[in-house]
Amino acid sequence: MFMQLTLSGLAQGAIYALIALSLTVVYRSTTVVNFGHGDFVMAGAFLSYVLVVLGGVAFLPAGALAVVAMFVLGVLFNRGLIRPILGGPHIGLALMCIAGGYVLRGIARMVWGREVLPMPPVFDMPPIFFGSLVITGDAIVIISTVLVLLLCFFGLLALTDLGKMVQAVYQSPRGARLIGLNVDRFNDVSWGVGAALGALGGILVAPVTLLHPDLGASFLIKGFAAMTLGGFGSLGGAVLGGVLLGVGEQYAGAYLDSSLIEITAYVIIVLVLFVRPQGLLGRKAVVKV
Amino acid sequence: MQMPTARQRRLRTILFWAVPAILLLVPLGTNAYTQFIVNGMLISTLVTLGFTIVIGNLGQLAFANTAFFGIGAYGSAILAAKLGVPWLLTIPIAGVFGAAGGFLASAAALRGIRSYYLAIITLAFGELMRWTYLHARPLTGGTDGLPMPRETLFGVSLTDDTVKYFVFLVVTVLLVKATANLLASRFGRAVMAVRENEVATASLAIPTSRVILVTFIWSGFVVGCAGALFARHIGHVFPESFGMLHLIASFAMVLVGGLGSVLGAVLGAVVLTALPEYLRAFPGMEELFFGLIVAAVLVALPMGLASLLRRMSPIFVERFYREAS
Repeated sequence: MFMQLTLSGLAQGAIYALIALSLTVVYRSTTVVNFGHGDFVMAGAFLSYVLVVLGGVAFLPAGALAVVAMFVLGVLFNRGLIRPILGGPHIGLALMCIAGGYVLRGIARMVWGREVLPMPPVFDMPPIFFGSLVITGDAIVIISTVLVLLLCFFGLLALTDLGKMVQAVYQSPRGARLIGLNVDRFNDVSWGVGAALGALGGILVAPVTLLHPDLGASFLIKGFAAMTLGGFGSLGGAVLGGVLLGVGEQYAGAYLDSSLIEITAYVIIVLVLFVRPQGLLGRKAVVKV
Repeated sequence: MQMPTARQRRLRTILFWAVPAILLLVPLGTNAYTQFIVNGMLISTLVTLGFTIVIGNLGQLAFANTAFFGIGAYGSAILAAKLGVPWLLTIPIAGVFGAAGGFLASAAALRGIRSYYLAIITLAFGELMRWTYLHARPLTGGTDGLPMPRETLFGVSLTDDTVKYFVFLVVTVLLVKATANLLASRFGRAVMAVRENEVATASLAIPTSRVILVTFIWSGFVVGCAGALFARHIGHVFPESFGMLHLIASFAMVLVGGLGSVLGAVLGAVVLTALPEYLRAFPGMEELFFGLIVAAVLVALPMGLASLLRRMSPIFVERFYREAS
């Protein structure tokens, strides 16, 4: 029972980690929290659905296409709507993100109405039995995909020159500009990567969940909770927070009350911000007056 | 910006009272459906007003507005349906409930949880409240919602939209006037000073914590009262009314009208309550419309419709209001 819960928690947590990481990538580059990110996740899931069900494309190329499309959308969103108001107040930026998300949601609803769509099964593997533990194909695919992706991502940051440039921009955008790095293009790419990673989260959950235009909202809150728990703005913290949230939800649902699954994330946000606002891995930065 | 002269200020006061006087005549020209929409505009005005003083005047990124609204609506409905309190009496009580919500939100802000952190924690607060409406079944009726009891007011049934209209109008005018006065006072200047620079404001011996606390509480009170009106307006309180769509709609109203402007709150609420009615029939259009209009206003007209009026005549310049740079 405990192992089973941990496993499904890890699969959920992998998705949350991916979403929190994508939010953090955007936040670290432009210091914008993308309040429309849930809808990017939804858009990724829907694009892959369209390609698989209506376009007859196989799941893998469909997913890849959706990721590329969302990358482009992320870049365009930053160029067209975020950059012109980047110097302005936080409120404007937060609103712009919400507005962008709403447009995506509106488009999804215009096409699908108020229906709830199931994705045809794609990870058609027989579950593996390991004693009393049942390992489903979905869990294997989700966990391994995210694991490989995280290894590549953090490897790139830690080991390559590109990673050093990313660190430089994170530490001081102005300094990075002075030594000749193209910060504007870096921000574009960050938004693209953020949108693509978020969309990938949506694509991975699409086969194991029901699709509807509002599915992004809950993922957004889960992403926030993971970021807050791990330490706002910390890339590693986002991953750690996501995994802990996924597992914690399963435990809370099984050992306490099943209705608590929905609010674990909210409770975590409130508790962490009041008790330890810097989260598990974040640096302390408290506004004092 | 040119400030209004003494004569223009007097004219403005006359205008302020002339408008509701004319509005008293509205039921003569409406049918049941349009009256219902007009009632909705009055409620939206209060919701927008409460929101704009926190995000516009105080400059705090707090998204708890929908939570205050839900607390007010459920507070009123529970008092009326379970305890038999007359609805009219529940309006100020719902306001106090909303104010308590405002107190909680300000507690977060005063703990140093600001900017995006405040946005996220208040968002979580709103969703926790919605979860409570869904799961506190004996009190709230869960997904089935809570019907408002039938009532009469001075012998007339309160199911009639025209009767509701007069009550809504009185409450709205009183709260709008009170808020406008509050913002034009010494306290209102302190609120905007906190937005511009909290440290500098504190150095002038202005108790910034108290200013933040009172602004949140007043915002909660106004929106809580609006919640009580809303409960009577639709006659049946459901958890879905207090979700993210309500939040984005209030955002759009604040923004289209003009951040931090009382006049803007009224304009935004009136314009954006009427327009989406025509889009109801097409799924998705409402969201698309709100999303596009917010994006367009942010890029092209950051201070909203009120800034257009201000440019036309100094009558519309709100005292001590400064265009955010």
